Amino acid sequence: MKIMPCPLNGPRNISEFVCQGEVEIEPDPATASDRDWADHLFMLDNEAGVVREWWYHVPTSYWFIAERNTVTDEIVRTYPTEELIERGGHPADFESKS
Amino acid sequence: MPESDQLSVRPAAFARRSFVYRRLESAGAWFAEIGGAAVAARFGDTASEVETARRLGLADLSPLPRVGFKGAGAMDWLAERGVTIDGSRPNWSWRQGDGSLAIARSNTESLILSNLSGNRYLCDRLESESNEGMEARVYVLPRYDGLFWFALTGSCAVACMAKVCGVDLRPSSFVDGAVAQTSVAGLTTTVVRCDIGIENAFYLLGDSASAEFFWDALLDAMREFRGDAVGLWSLQALQAEVK
Amino acid sequence: MSGGASRLPAPWGAYIDRDRTVRFSFEGREIEGFAGDTIASALAANGIRLLSRSFKYHRPRGSTSMSGDDGGGLVQVGDEPNVLADVREVEPGMTVVGQNYIGSLESDQASILERFKPFLPVGFYYKAFFRPRGIWNYWEKLIRQTAGLGRVDPDTPRRYYDKTYEFCDVAVIGAGPAGLAAAAEAAESGADVLLVEREPDLGGSLAFQRFDPDAFGAERTLCRLRERVAGQSNLRVMTNAVCTGWFADNWLSIISGNRLHKLRARSVVACTGVLEQPPLFRANDLPGIMFGGAAQRLIRSYGVKPGRRAVVFTSSGDGYGVALDLDDSGVDVAAIVDPGSASSGDSLTLAARDRGIRVIQGCAVAEAVPRPDKLNVAAVLVGPVSGSDFIADDRERIDCDLLCVSTATAPAASLLCQAGARLQLSESSGSFEVTSIPPNAFAAGSVNGFFDLDAVIEDGQRAGMSAAHTGDETAPAAVERERGQTRRYWFGTEHPDGLDFVDFDEDVTAHDVCDAIAEGFEDIELLKRYTAMGMGPSQGRQSALGAARLVARVTGRPLSEVGATTSRPPAFPEKFGHLAGRAFKPVRRTALHHRHVELGAQIMTSGLWLRPAYYGPEHARAQLINEEVRAVRTGVGVIDVSTLGGFEIRGPDAAEFLNRMYTLSYHRLRVGRVRYAMVLDDAGVVVDDGVAARLARNHFYVTASTTGAEEMYPALLWRQAQWRLDVDISDVTSSTCAFNLAGPRSRAVLEKLASDIDFSRAAFPYMAVRVGRLGGIPVRVLRIGFVGELGYEIHVPSAQAEALWDTLMEAGDEFGIRPFAVEAQRVLRLEKGHVIVGQDTDGLTNPLEADMGWALGRRKRYYVGKRSIEIAAAKGIARRLVGYRLVGSVGTVPEEGCLVIRRGEIVGRLTSSAWSPTLGRTIGLAYVAPDQAAAGHVFDIKAQDGRMVRAEVAALPFYDPGNTRQGL
Repeated sequence: MKIMPCPLNGPRNISEFVCQGEVEIEPDPATASDRDWADHLFMLDNEAGVVREWWYHVPTSYWFIAERNTVTDEIVRTYPTEELIERGGHPADFESKS
Repeated sequence: MPESDQLSVRPAAFARRSFVYRRLESAGAWFAEIGGAAVAARFGDTASEVETARRLGLADLSPLPRVGFKGAGAMDWLAERGVTIDGSRPNWSWRQGDGSLAIARSNTESLILSNLSGNRYLCDRLESESNEGMEARVYVLPRYDGLFWFALTGSCAVACMAKVCGVDLRPSSFVDGAVAQTSVAGLTTTVVRCDIGIENAFYLLGDSASAEFFWDALLDAMREFRGDAVGLWSLQALQAEVK
Repeated sequence: MSGGASRLPAPWGAYIDRDRTVRFSFEGREIEGFAGDTIASALAANGIRLLSRSFKYHRPRGSTSMSGDDGGGLVQVGDEPNVLADVREVEPGMTVVGQNYIGSLESDQASILERFKPFLPVGFYYKAFFRPRGIWNYWEKLIRQTAGLGRVDPDTPRRYYDKTYEFCDVAVIGAGPAGLAAAAEAAESGADVLLVEREPDLGGSLAFQRFDPDAFGAERTLCRLRERVAGQSNLRVMTNAVCTGWFADNWLSIISGNRLHKLRARSVVACTGVLEQPPLFRANDLPGIMFGGAAQRLIRSYGVKPGRRAVVFTSSGDGYGVALDLDDSGVDVAAIVDPGSASSGDSLTLAARDRGIRVIQGCAVAEAVPRPDKLNVAAVLVGPVSGSDFIADDRERIDCDLLCVSTATAPAASLLCQAGARLQLSESSGSFEVTSIPPNAFAAGSVNGFFDLDAVIEDGQRAGMSAAHTGDETAPAAVERERGQTRRYWFGTEHPDGLDFVDFDEDVTAHDVCDAIAEGFEDIELLKRYTAMGMGPSQGRQSALGAARLVARVTGRPLSEVGATTSRPPAFPEKFGHLAGRAFKPVRRTALHHRHVELGAQIMTSGLWLRPAYYGPEHARAQLINEEVRAVRTGVGVIDVSTLGGFEIRGPDAAEFLNRMYTLSYHRLRVGRVRYAMVLDDAGVVVDDGVAARLARNHFYVTASTTGAEEMYPALLWRQAQWRLDVDISDVTSSTCAFNLAGPRSRAVLEKLASDIDFSRAAFPYMAVRVGRLGGIPVRVLRIGFVGELGYEIHVPSAQAEALWDTLMEAGDEFGIRPFAVEAQRVLRLEKGHVIVGQDTDGLTNPLEADMGWALGRRKRYYVGKRSIEIAAAKGIARRLVGYRLVGSVGTVPEEGCLVIRRGEIVGRLTSSAWSPTLGRTIGLAYVAPDQAAAGHVFDIKAQDGRMVRAEVAALPFYDPGNTRQGL
């Protein structure tokens, strides 16, 4: 079984984790076209190479980001979500936008 | 320690009840009151139970106090109240002066377990002050009701845990104080190495709704080592020997 | 002598205990062996070599390796099929029979199949059974009867298997000379070492092979290595333990007895040795032909004289050692046949010549001649070698009952290959060599190309040292030793008359392979699939080399370009029992579970939860459910809803979080009030619902459905990870139990109890929440009405839930309180037209279809799924959820899932259907076409028995349309 290095719990059997797929930036629902919105919902990039993915450690309910090579299945790096996602940057943050 | 010919208390006589009290009753437990709940003090005679606990014993500590705190301000808030804990070191535990245990489950979440005498003081004090903690981003978690608390002790505990848990718990890799939040017997469990008088003692805390499942699964895994349920008194006796 | 006529005296027979006779039966005949014998060795001691019949042509077969590496020794032991006879130890009273024969093992009626060989060409299955269309259905039945080897007994009793995890720094697989040296060296370097050996004892080749003229010279080396290993406290040894798989990040599966060990090692050293390979010649599969190592195992491990008159066919010193062992154990060695032209000068070769054993140099075995009964070899035909693999026609016949073959070896590399190493044909030796060994993996000894005993041990030490220092940058790099002289091998070639088997398991001959290549299957992977070669029990351990060489020769490709097929786990047989092991299936019980059982509840599962379905005996199900419904409508009932999810949402942004996550608006919800909470996914599909209670300005308590709770918590946290609001989300599902006290008399029950909560209608209105104490126990009480009556959902700390339940039941006694359960609740809510997410919605349902547009905060700027709902609304919906009642005299009551049909087309389906005792008729919810959704519209349902049933759209709710009762 593969080992996933968890930023909170250290190396663990990958069976303790769930992968939620690639990190995607949600388009602003107020301005995105129907087509862009549908793309966001239903189309995956499915790139060959290093991609950024959401991973979840079930026993600690912990979300983090893993950079994984989809060709070799090598896990390049894992880190807490705060390193990737800024506070107030989400399309739902109307106050920070105005 | 009370005389053994005293009458056992009935778990159902208290509002607070262990999640496995029926299992304990049918195994012939003799109950004593601790902090408004009945705890399985012994099953047979404590002297032989101490020997079982040295080899492989499983004790239900669920009636003892515990409480959790979570939030961006939780660790500082606890430190201000004299609790030794370090949020920068998640998955570690610290013994407090009164023998209770403070566990850092993450940078922002803690779990406080009482000592083996079931002294409520620390848990109660912290819990009552937590109402004022909302402004400081401190949120109390009702862990007494959400988590069962078992202790697995003895020289065979590591080998027994290896049958149900994929984390390396060998004494060299998982030292006294270490914490692992992982899957044990298919159930999300917090494993704490907490040597209470003997080496290789583990506190196991998991979803209270699965307490009976977990109790049964552990006893099954323990059978090949001739392990068995033990009462709180045998653990207290082991701890007293060291002091 | 007891234990079989062919027993040798001690010290031969290291594994057997001559003081303990073991009796068992084989093919109905009583056999005597010793404790420590395998089935095959005990049978060999009694002159029996024939164990089973081959898969395709039913040819007689015995074990050729005596080590479980070939597929010839599979037998049935009691109810257990496909047992390796050369590995399984004998037990008193075991019943052993051969496999894959019709009639008797010795006279198999199906052996006639061999005569049809010309009509059963390679790829026969692919060619024969697919035309005309549909013919496969006919052939399949026949083929199923002949396929497979052993018999599975469906009544096999349950056996206890379990699993355990193991951890070490260095795992060493194989305890031969290299493995022992590697383990000792690694342990001496301070690593925590686990040494895994599949045989009962340590030693590997040292335990059975002859390395020098002195018959017991190897034993001294073994003693020395054993002592080194035994002296290490940080070195554990597992014997009788088979490593079957090598997975990612050095995760090894090891089977011993009924236990599967899952080992995680920092680094792994494979010391798995080599496997002897069968050369091609006619009838190379006859019983009586075995590898030299197999004969040596019989002699040394089991004290069995393997035959009377033997021919040894060898290309290296190993075979001369075999001849010496045979000679020492009283076997008449008729000749050593050595294809090499010049005699090698090694000590074993010289010793054999010194004893006067006839050596036929420059010749090879071209054919084995069977006995008249065809069950054993009777003679070999030997001819001079011409060219590298060919034998000239000038043949000498040598009579013998045993042919020992030691002409070639291949690395036992299946585990290494699973880890990422590759097998490649070597131009110099003509056999496979292991290349591309991945990091943190090591190979040592003969699997790594070393054969000289000193070199093997040195290579083991090198690997052990390197493995112990894995990850340590400062450690000195170990020096690789030169591999020394290449061994001489002989592989043989096709015989013009056939029966030159490449793969014994699947009866694939060299001709079959050549035919397949001629048909274009020259890629080794395609060749395997077309011929089935390597797919049998021995998984190509003895056929991959032969096949690769044929491919190279027939296609003219250089040897180095031909590899082996992909190695996949398991490398050795595993039982389903091992894989299943002790399965953990956590169940969740509410704190009231035992109270339900005591009340006679029928328990059902809902997700991981155990829940009551209804209370009382199964035969009275319908009546009991009706009674429970009636109790709630007319008096008071109580249901355990502890399985509902519960989340604490706390912090300055708590309301903002809810506003984004749930479809309604929560900023202006007053403290002490409750509001419905529905969650959509990004595509606008309804995924869960519950209620949100505002306990303080910055504190909400939100529930989720029983089945949705598990998914909801990660979903909430995932959104929060992106929104990063100043809020804390905690799952309190298990710390909170809840029960719903419902019915016109529920208030009376509560008012009987001591409480600081005012339950009066004015002080505690519908959709309000109060926090306080009830009977001394802390509670949160939500006044909500899923079942459409005056009702209170009481949330209580789990540890005190049973006490509160007892108090309530006691207080409710005088009001006729009755516990009700899931089935009655489904009816009650259906009477109110309330939707159950997951039952009345599916993976595509949006709120507009489910007629829940009222739950969408239309003035909100954002909530999860809002954009998709807007798109869906603009497009228009394709179906609509409505209530219905059956029309006219109804014969069949259509069940949930039945289809709504209009003009022969499917337009919807029933999602809920139940008898309503309150209304005295069958009611339900169904999806219909949007233009059928108006009340009074009549539509057709195709019932489960195929009959068409009429239904009429009914306005919702069916019961108490003015919703007056829940507000009482």
